[in-house]
Amino acid sequence: MAMAHGDMADGATHSGGSAARELELIERVAQRDRRAFEELYNLYHRRLARFLTRLTRRYELAEEIINDTFWVVWRSAGDFRGDSQPSTWILGIAYRKARNAFRSAARSRARQNLEPPSFPLTSEEPAKETELRDWLSHALGELPVEQRLAVELCYELGHSCEEIATIMGCPVNTVKTRLFHARAKLQKLLPELAGRPADARRKGTQERGS
Amino acid sequence: MSSMVACSHEESRRLLPWLANGRLNAAERTRVELHVRACPECAREVDMQRRLCDALTEPERVTYAPGPSFRKLMQRIDAAPAPRPAALPLPAARAARLRAAWRPPGLAWAASFVLLSLAGLLAATAYRWSQPLYVTHTEAPVAAPGVLHVAFERSLAVGDVEQLLLSAGARIVEGPDRSGVFGVAPVADGTAPADADARLRLIAARLRAEREVRWVEPLPDRQRSEGASDPLPRRP
Repeated sequence: MAMAHGDMADGATHSGGSAARELELIERVAQRDRRAFEELYNLYHRRLARFLTRLTRRYELAEEIINDTFWVVWRSAGDFRGDSQPSTWILGIAYRKARNAFRSAARSRARQNLEPPSFPLTSEEPAKETELRDWLSHALGELPVEQRLAVELCYELGHSCEEIATIMGCPVNTVKTRLFHARAKLQKLLPELAGRPADARRKGTQERGS
Repeated sequence: MSSMVACSHEESRRLLPWLANGRLNAAERTRVELHVRACPECAREVDMQRRLCDALTEPERVTYAPGPSFRKLMQRIDAAPAPRPAALPLPAARAARLRAAWRPPGLAWAASFVLLSLAGLLAATAYRWSQPLYVTHTEAPVAAPGVLHVAFERSLAVGDVEQLLLSAGARIVEGPDRSGVFGVAPVADGTAPADADARLRLIAARLRAEREVRWVEPLPDRQRSEGASDPLPRRP
């Protein structure tokens, strides 16, 4: 039953060695070591960029959130006491920045009386040319932001339930509930995930559209 | 391991995401796996979640270059004022707090000034309220030597006052004031000052003997020292 997600090591904090290295970098950042800051930034930029771009669908906004996150890291590295994993601390900051960005975008849309951006999940879209990942990306856009973030933190970044609870600042049962509802919704939107063929996906999206 | 009991179906369904991403602890993983082997629904569910993991972690087609973003961030950091020091030593932190307490900015100064003004006003009012609103004739300076202050019963007619004073050998030289107090002196007859004092004491004694006289003051010096226990001869 051992899991083999090759890219997971890149995302999560499974390695004690990498956590120790990140802790050392944070200590040096607290002393205003720019090289250490750049190394830490590069370590997280890829995983945050991927995670946030999928969420925001705009790399510019994702980049803005990343830089807001590391602005906080630079200014408050001295306050980090190692009570949690460095990745949990940094992702917790990123999570709050992303959530604020989403809320700000929602307020802006409301002021301009705009509909939320919709992403087509129609049967006209050629299924063979669209990979599951793209469909998944669209389907994630249909989830409430808290569920979407929980899915990304669990399945993409590979965090444990307790780590996600720390990052999101909520009880572990809330994390479990959010993922439970998110999975149910994703299964409806993406029948392929449940082992059904692409035809079923098209049928599912037609039903959703009707 | 064989003593482990499989978790319930509900518990399994809630823990499957972490079975799929490999982040369950050993005990939880064993219990969930025991259930999954016996539950086709959970087995399908965990397969679905593994596909979800695979889809979300498959290598990115886009390459993100952190360099330009990092340079932007450093420009922002360099343009911003320096952050506060990470941690001050305790005495220094305490001294900084004390200095800050003695340097109230803007509005705090204004509020301090208003409070101090109010406190001063309150103190002045409290002092004024603590002072008596009346004046005692016993403490008032004597208008002139050789003058007795006398208060008659208010019901006494002017003629009776006149008669009473004549019989005592006195005449009105002051008053009455707002309290109805008269200043009386011996009728002038050319006596020497020493005798005048004796006459004043005599007049005081006569007047005090009258029921219509409420009080007489000041007492002549000698009588004052002799009758210190009853300096104000008031009638009942």
